[in-house]
Formats: sequence, structure tokens, C-alpha cells
Amino acid sequence: MGTLAVVAADQRDPVVTLYRTLLVYGLIALVILTAGLVEFLHFEPFGQTAGVHAHIAGVYLYDPANEQTSGPNRSTFARGEQFAAVVDWSGLPDNVTVQAVWYDSFGNIVGQVGPGKPSDLNARRIIPAEKPSGLKYHLPGEYIFAVERLEGGQPVAVLARRLIEVERT
Amino acid sequence: MSVVARRAANPRPRGRPSRYLLATVIAGVVLVVMVGNSLLDYVYLDTIPGRTSLYGLIAVALVAVATYIGVRAFDRDPAQRSRHLIRAGVLLGLAALLWLLVSDAFLFAAAAGPGVAIACALACLPTTAFGLFVVRRIDRNEKEPWRLVLVSAAWGAIVATSLVIWGESFWEAVAVRTLVPGPGLDAARAFSAGLLEELGKGTAVLLLFLVMRNEFDDVVDGIVYGAAVGLGFNFMETLTYMTNLYAIFSPEGAGGIAAGFQWYARQVLGLFMGHATYTAFVGAGIGIARQLPSRRKKVVAIVTGFVVAIAAHFSWDAWLSFFPIETSVLGLIEVHLRTIVMTGPFTAGVVALLVLGLRNESVALSEQLRQEAAMDAGAVLPAEVEILANPWRRFRERLRALDRRGVGAYVRLARLQAAQLDLAMERWHRERQEIDAPLEAEDELRGQIRTLRQQAAF
Repeated sequence: MGTLAVVAADQRDPVVTLYRTLLVYGLIALVILTAGLVEFLHFEPFGQTAGVHAHIAGVYLYDPANEQTSGPNRSTFARGEQFAAVVDWSGLPDNVTVQAVWYDSFGNIVGQVGPGKPSDLNARRIIPAEKPSGLKYHLPGEYIFAVERLEGGQPVAVLARRLIEVERT
Repeated sequence: MSVVARRAANPRPRGRPSRYLLATVIAGVVLVVMVGNSLLDYVYLDTIPGRTSLYGLIAVALVAVATYIGVRAFDRDPAQRSRHLIRAGVLLGLAALLWLLVSDAFLFAAAAGPGVAIACALACLPTTAFGLFVVRRIDRNEKEPWRLVLVSAAWGAIVATSLVIWGESFWEAVAVRTLVPGPGLDAARAFSAGLLEELGKGTAVLLLFLVMRNEFDDVVDGIVYGAAVGLGFNFMETLTYMTNLYAIFSPEGAGGIAAGFQWYARQVLGLFMGHATYTAFVGAGIGIARQLPSRRKKVVAIVTGFVVAIAAHFSWDAWLSFFPIETSVLGLIEVHLRTIVMTGPFTAGVVALLVLGLRNESVALSEQLRQEAAMDAGAVLPAEVEILANPWRRFRERLRALDRRGVGAYVRLARLQAAQLDLAMERWHRERQEIDAPLEAEDELRGQIRTLRQQAAF
């Protein structure tokens, strides 16, 4: 009876209504965070990095007119400079589907080769980073160049990666 | 009725409650994390944000000292109080200026320039001030002191941003080197922002709850403090985005448009529907915990508040890209719809808690005012009960005082009404056995009210 009295008193307390409302929000929040975790695991599945590695020969200045690279391998560029990555596809087995992608500092794709078998991409070793459409210069910040392995049309593993800094000035 | 209230009272012995120890430990951890983050960032990364983080510690220290002096000022007599408040204000001002200077000098001066940084700060000040004014006003029964609202905003702007710089930089550095770029990386970044930023901001509300218990009554107060912290954080984040995007797009001739868009999106459209909403959830959890009887439920409420805030923040950062904005006139509509659809439900959730909290508070205060009037102790008169229980009628009474005797009478009556509501609030907490202050504190308050009544007589 004592317990029942406590429970009855507890139920009359309006703070308990607030507490229960908060708990309902908490459940919704857990659903959201779980959905986020599922999304993360879907795009970042475990056990996808077994053994295969690509080779990025380097990132160089790029001349769009003759579609050739020049100069030394670099990791920083000015906003006005054109640059491209050079990938050696020959070391990859032909039973995988791959692509090479440039992501700018906002996460937008600004250059891409593939997807396809490595042997199909041999003719496309130079992958330039394009300026965003409508802009005169590259965005400043960190660019990611990634050679990705795909399954079911979706990137599941990074076989090689280079981070490039585009300087603010 | 008064006998019942006194019997239910649960006065604690004088001296510092154990929660002060917990607050000291949390403050110590915050300090160690901040200093450690800054030193590690500076020594190992040696990036520009690293230098900002290290030199920003001076600003953080100034804020801490100013807060201490500001809080102490209210333990002093009124003659000394103003001197202490001026000192605290000067230190806070110096901290804000130093932080702006450091941010500007080390992050954006080379590209955006100090003039742009100052212009951006000036553009954000009125909107943030408006946000703080509104947030404070929503606590219609017992407004929180400006000093604590401003300290909350300062924590959000300066301390919380300092706390998260290194953590987010480290998370980002690891994520871009290990994860597949795309939605998975976006989700990882969103977890980082939600978790670290809400912990950094929420710590302020938690410390207020532990240290300033007399000014932290219920869920309404928690929402006010949480939203104030969020508005402070939003101020600094807007400043960062505005100057950064100005620097990026000014060579394209669109720096002003880019900065202006950030200002509108964050200081107008997202003023209440971004960080203010997220951290208000932390405050709501802590405010509800304030009035729960068992320690287990208190902990659950506080943790739940943080989890909801983290989830709300996460959902925006992770799924923003699912609502792309077109670069046309239609984009102007889309940007509004995106904010309303993605953050609106969370803001509505905070408003629901606020409305419930205000209703609980109003009912409880009315009852306590009636009981106090029945005591015939002279603090609340029977004729005053209905007026005090209604914010609009209180305001009308003050206007009447203004009309009859001028601004001084208005202010004196406002003080009297505030003290009477303080007493009702204290009685409510005592009846619920959730108060530290000894019973004599109530009698002291009654004495103060009688004095205020004499001063306010017209």
C-alpha cells in the first residue's frame, strides 16, 4: 500500500509528466543516432580493406591544354594552380571495380575517373581536380584524392589516398 | 497550510553542499582538457587553429576570473557590488576583444582582414542580443539574472568553442585519413560535432545547475540557460563561417554575398532553430533533474537531455546533404523549408517542454502565493495573489506605478514583485524537498519584502 501511495503521488506530480516527455524524446533521439550508426556502417562496412592497395604516383601541376602534368610531386597548391593526380592502375587485380575521385574542401566531387576495371582505366592515369563550376579558383582547404573499390556501385574501401592542401592565398 | 509547508521543509545544515565538490571536479577537468588540448595542438600540429587555441586560453582565463568576480559581487553589500560588477564587466570585455583579436589575427586576418571580422561581429551582435532578450523574457514568472544569462552566452562563445577545437580537429584528421569519403565520412563528422559541441556547451549548464542552484529552479530555467549558451556558441560560429566564406569567395567577387548568406542562415533563420534549440534540450534535462526526487532519475534526465541534444545536432549535420539547395530563386524557398523541416520538430519539442514547465510553474506559484497570503506574514497580501500570479496583471500594476510616480516607482514595484515571486518559488522548492537553503532564509526574504513594500508604497 505504501508503494502504491508513492506511485500515485508520483503520477500526480507534473514534473513526472515532463520527465516522461523527455524520455520519449530520448527514445526518438536513440532512433536517430541508431539510424546514423546504420548509415555509417552501410557506407563504411567492416572488413573491406583486405590486402588490395593502389599506388598513387603523385600529385603534380597540370596543364589542361595538353592534358599533361609537370614538376615535382607536391602536397600544397595555390588556388589559381591546376593540379592532377597520377595513378598507377597496373598493380591492381582486374577482378575489382575501382574509381578515382577528387573531393574538394566542401566535400564536393571535383574530378573523377571510373568506375571500371583497372585494365579499363589504364589509359586514364591522370586525374585532374576541376575548379567548381562558375568559380575562377579552386576552393581553399584540404582536398582528398581517393582510389576507391566499389561493390554494388557503392564505394566500400579506399585503396589509396592523398591529402592536398590548397592554400588560402 | 503553512504548518504543512514547514513540516515538509528539508533544511540542510549550513556550509557548502556536496554538489560544489562535483562542480569543482568538472571545472578542473574542463581546465585540464582545455590546457592539454591547446598545448598538444600547438606543439604537435602547429596549425593556425593551434595557436588560436593556445592564445585563446588567456581569454578563457579572463572569462573565468570575470565570472568569479561577478558571482562574488552579489555576496557583497550594494556599495561594493557595483565596483565588482564593473571589474567583471571590464574583464569580460577584454576577454571578448582578445578572443576576437586572436581569432582574427591568426585565422582570418591574412585573408578576410580585421575590418571584415569586426563588421561580421557587429552584424551578429544585435541578432544575438535580440535572441538573448527573447530567451530571458520567456521565463515570464521569474526572469534569470542578466549576469548569468550573459555568462552562459560567454561560455558558449568562448569556452565551448575552445573546448571543441582540438577534439574536432583530431577527429577530422583521423576520419579523412581512414574513412571512405561520402555519406559515411559525413556521418562520422556529424557524430563528432554533435557529441563534442553539445558536451562542451552543456557543461556550462551543468555547472550552473551545480553552483547557482538558487537561480536554477526548474525546466524553464534550464531551457533559458541552455538556449543562452547555444546563442553564444552560434555567435562565434557565425563569425567564423562569415569571415571564412568571405575570404574564400572574395577573390570570386562574391565575398559579401557568401558572408551575408551565412549571417541570414545562422543569425536570422537559425537563431533559435540551431544551437539554441540543441543546448536547450541539455538545459531541459538538467532543469527536470532539478525537481526529481531520486538520484537515478536525475542522472537519467540529465543524460537524456544530452542525448536528445546530440541527436538533434547530429541529424542536421549528417543529413543536410539530403536537402540540396538549388542556385536559383527556388533555393531561397528551399533554404527556409530545409531549416523548418530538419530543425523545426526539435524546436517544437523544446517549446512543448517550455509550455509544460511554465504551466507547472504558474500553478505552483499561484498555490504558494495563496498559502503565503494566508499566513498573514505581510510578505504577500491576499489582494496581491491574483495580480502576482498573472504576468500581464503584474505588468499592468507596474505601468500604473509608472503613470503615478514615474520610473523609480516602476522599478521599486518590479523589485517587490520579483522578491514576492522568489519567496513563492522558495516555498515551492521547500514543499517539494528540493532546496538547500535553511528555513530561516525564507524569513529573511519576508523581511526584505516588507522593506521593499515600504519603498514601493505609492
